[in-house]
Amino acid sequence: MSVLLWLHDTAFGTLVRESTWAEPVIETIHVLTLTAFLGLVILLDLRLLDLALKKTRVAMVFKQLKPWIFAAFGVMLVTGLSLFAGDPVLFYGTLFFKLKMLMLLAAALNVVAFNCTLGRTLPQWDQLSATPRGAKLTGLLSLILWIAVVACGRGIAYVLPPP
Amino acid sequence: MNTLASWTLAFCRWCNGSFFGHGIRDSAWLFPFVEVFHLLALALLGGILILINLSLLGVRFGNASTRELARELKPWMIGSILVMLLSGFLLFSTEAVKMYGNWAFQLKMLFLLLALLFTLTIYRQVIHAPRAAAGLRALTALISLLLWLGVGLGGRAIGYVTTAATALTAP
Repeated sequence: MSVLLWLHDTAFGTLVRESTWAEPVIETIHVLTLTAFLGLVILLDLRLLDLALKKTRVAMVFKQLKPWIFAAFGVMLVTGLSLFAGDPVLFYGTLFFKLKMLMLLAAALNVVAFNCTLGRTLPQWDQLSATPRGAKLTGLLSLILWIAVVACGRGIAYVLPPP
Repeated sequence: MNTLASWTLAFCRWCNGSFFGHGIRDSAWLFPFVEVFHLLALALLGGILILINLSLLGVRFGNASTRELARELKPWMIGSILVMLLSGFLLFSTEAVKMYGNWAFQLKMLFLLLALLFTLTIYRQVIHAPRAAAGLRALTALISLLLWLGVGLGGRAIGYVTTAATALTAP
């Protein structure tokens, strides 16, 4: 709690909270970067599910999308944290915010789990005509978790309408 | 008021009073529910456009040419545009008359019309032309990105314009 109060009172938090333009500008960047981040993640998940880009090997799709996804995620994280800094106590007090963080954590664990298991044997199953069931499960889980993140994000906006 | 404007306003009134306009407006959760679909569809469309435009700009996607990449993504691109248009129309119908006078919304619709027309005509031609000049491909990608960015920025602005207008008219 004291961390939240400290963040609330930092010069940056105050700027986001009190400036007319900071919040709309940061939120616009956050939402527009969603098209890059989430859009490419969805395509990756669809590839794992064998529903899109089937002619390109999974390893190649990963290689092509990874730098963009990481860069876009960096922007999402920085803008997201900035919005949070504007009123950390208020955000933290909403159920949707906690749920969103939980879903983000679950999505990250999903990636780690994949990298520790099927990701290691990727060169072997990438030659097959269909992705293994585990890869499809990873893609499906990822889709569900990211949809939940978006839904919770919208939920936050409803509970805390912009000033 | 000219004929087109009065027809448009009449259409907005009809949307406002339609069963879906009413239903979504009166429900506590239907609006955000539809909005999530709108966001997911625009995210997917954005991802697809980034890949195709990068390919037009010379960043190859694996071994696929721009044409092959676009062909593979076509069903998802059409699907995401349709979901985006349908969900967008439903969101619009809940406050259609208010949107009629919202300059950000008008700007967004203008950009959307231009973006769709561009995509269906020049964009499609350039993607499928096997030997289009690099400069033309780059220009096409740039115009596409700018038009869709206009749609996105217009969409973001709608909420703020509404807020400002409400604040002005509040007692």
